[in-house]
Amino acid sequence: MLRAIAKLLKVLNSETEPGQISLALCFSMIVGFTPLFSLHNFAVFLLVLVLRVNLSTFILGLILFSGVAYLLDPIFHWIGLAVLTSSGLEGLWTAFYNMTLLRLAKFNNSIVMGSFLFSMVLFVPLYFIANKMIMQYREHVLAWVQKTRIMQAFKATKLYNVFATYSRLRGGV
Amino acid sequence: MKKIRWQGLITFVVLLLFVIGAWFLFVDVAIKKTIESKGAELVKAKVELADADFSIFPLGLSLTGLEVANPDAPMTNAFQVDRVALSLEGAKLLRRKVVFKEMTLEGVKLNTPRKTSGAISETLSRIPVVSKEPSEEKVKWPSFKIPDAKEILQKEKLQSLELIASFREDLQKEKEKWQSRLAKLPDKNKLGEYQKKIDRLKSGKQRGIEGILGGASEVLTLRKELSRDLNLIKTAQKELGQNMTSLRKRMAEVKKAPQEDVHRLKEKYSPSPEGMANASRLFFGKKVGNWTDTFLNWYKKLGPILERVKERKHGREVVKPTRGKGVDVRFKEQEAYPDFLIRIAHVAIEIPAGLVKGQVRNITPDQDILGVPLMYEVAGVNLTGLASLKIDGSLNHVDPSSAKDTANVLIRGYDISDMDLSSDAELPIVLKRATADLEARVTIAGETLKANSLTSLQSVNMGTPNEEETNSLMKALTSAISDMKAFDLKAEISGTIQDYDLKLSSNLDNVLKDAVKKQVKAQAVQFEKRLKSVIQEKVGGSMADLETSLGGLGSIDSELKARSHFGDELFKRSRESGSGGMKLPL
Repeated sequence: MLRAIAKLLKVLNSETEPGQISLALCFSMIVGFTPLFSLHNFAVFLLVLVLRVNLSTFILGLILFSGVAYLLDPIFHWIGLAVLTSSGLEGLWTAFYNMTLLRLAKFNNSIVMGSFLFSMVLFVPLYFIANKMIMQYREHVLAWVQKTRIMQAFKATKLYNVFATYSRLRGGV
Repeated sequence: MKKIRWQGLITFVVLLLFVIGAWFLFVDVAIKKTIESKGAELVKAKVELADADFSIFPLGLSLTGLEVANPDAPMTNAFQVDRVALSLEGAKLLRRKVVFKEMTLEGVKLNTPRKTSGAISETLSRIPVVSKEPSEEKVKWPSFKIPDAKEILQKEKLQSLELIASFREDLQKEKEKWQSRLAKLPDKNKLGEYQKKIDRLKSGKQRGIEGILGGASEVLTLRKELSRDLNLIKTAQKELGQNMTSLRKRMAEVKKAPQEDVHRLKEKYSPSPEGMANASRLFFGKKVGNWTDTFLNWYKKLGPILERVKERKHGREVVKPTRGKGVDVRFKEQEAYPDFLIRIAHVAIEIPAGLVKGQVRNITPDQDILGVPLMYEVAGVNLTGLASLKIDGSLNHVDPSSAKDTANVLIRGYDISDMDLSSDAELPIVLKRATADLEARVTIAGETLKANSLTSLQSVNMGTPNEEETNSLMKALTSAISDMKAFDLKAEISGTIQDYDLKLSSNLDNVLKDAVKKQVKAQAVQFEKRLKSVIQEKVGGSMADLETSLGGLGSIDSELKARSHFGDELFKRSRESGSGGMKLPL
């Protein structure tokens, strides 16, 4: 756990582009909210590995969003069921239902559909909000945090030692 | 800065291969665990599998050493299968349809012993079926002993005694009522006064017109008063007469009551050959009841295999997925297909008599989608002790609202030996040898159960282990049973699968009834005599008291008659009396 928090701090404090971190967070939201072994998640994994998104953030985000998903399951079910049973979309879903690939994706499950739509709707706003927050953090908070007494005290802790050792080994800050 | 890292693609491929590899490595274990857990959930007892083997080429599944424990007898397997081979349709699997082209069950054995208990939980017990007939406790051998009349009267209320008590009370009230009324009616003294007046008027000599007219007026007044009093007496006499008639009627009924008591108690307690009309139920009721219960318990466990629980939400059919997360919404398919289907299952069951082979077609919980019911047929092959065995039928849930399941059983030449028909201490009966032919048809429509069977037993050899029977009645019964060479047994089951009625009838019943008729009749006569004497002893005294009380009312009647007669006489004399011997024109 200490190592994970150290990693996150390192990423936030590093020169990694905010976009890479934010995108990793958004992808982790899709994988975390939707059932892990859904077909679309293979595509997300491929994108995460091929695009230069931050993997540490992705893994941490995945843990975070998977935990939250359990609490949000009733909402996902409600959204999914409402969308899947909407008479206006019946034709579309019927066409999808008769496509082998989409049947494998299990789009007709209320939780899969609900969680996927929920994460897709939040994808773009989350990207920009995360981006903004990371930049704000680096500009205003980081320098101030470094100077605070708490941070000074923190630097003397075991946690910071782990973080520093890890950074040195990875050739980072 | 580069936006793409190509080594990520390699990592993805490696990871994908790793996942596929892991899947292959663990799929067999996963299948084994799933079958064991889902099976146990369905059967409510342990389901164990020695091994599961999933293969891609050819696409299929092989299961070995399947043991399904009997939830009602945990140390026994309801059945075990040496090997199950299933071949899958790959194209359908891509559309999330598990369709087995063929399933072969080899080495199926029923009721095999287990080394460890197959119970999974106390709470997951069998679904209770309430049957009305199977329990032997409910059907008892009729007792042919002469019951003790005195003991019977200790626990039974005699209606005659109740009638006597109520009649006695009414009589007493009547008596009091009439005594009081009699006291109010004109008595001999009052009538005596009339007599004196008449005498005076008769002897009196009036002088002049005034005297004559005065005398006439007095006579008129007297006769008016006498007539009024006489009327009162006569009315009372008439009413009493009516009351007496009604009371005498009741008395006659009360006199009959002891005989009715005798009749009632005789019907209830007298040994009767009618009790033998239940012999077939006594012999076979428990067995047929137990078979029916076992059949229905397994039928209920088959429920989820035959029909999936389907809900509708917002007008669309939704199906709860197995892992219980969310719901799957169904849409119209170009080629509708069930989610799970076994097209044909070849079964070979090893029973003590030999091998039973057959086929089951269209095993699916989505018969409404497939549009075809589950059909099955099995038949015996080279059986010993059984000439032929054939079972076929269908489980039709194509339209779940009018589901109908049927089974036809045909057995020919089944050799029965040493079957205990009655374990009753008084008359234990063993079917030592017989050959049975059975035809049965079972229909379950929704919850309604209807079944009927006809079993013909030939070359029957029945007897009782108590060879030296001293009781003449038991001797007759044993002899009738031993002489019986053939009989039929009809069974009819009706009701619901939760609560059914079992009716058994056989010509065996009449044979046994006739055998005991003579002896039982003699015993009944003896019992009736004893009963009569004991009842007479009890009610005799009370009956005599009633006669006396009724006699008491008779004396009031006599008194009224005497007064009426006296009054009539006086009235006659008053007509003769006039003023100075002159008759009045009245």
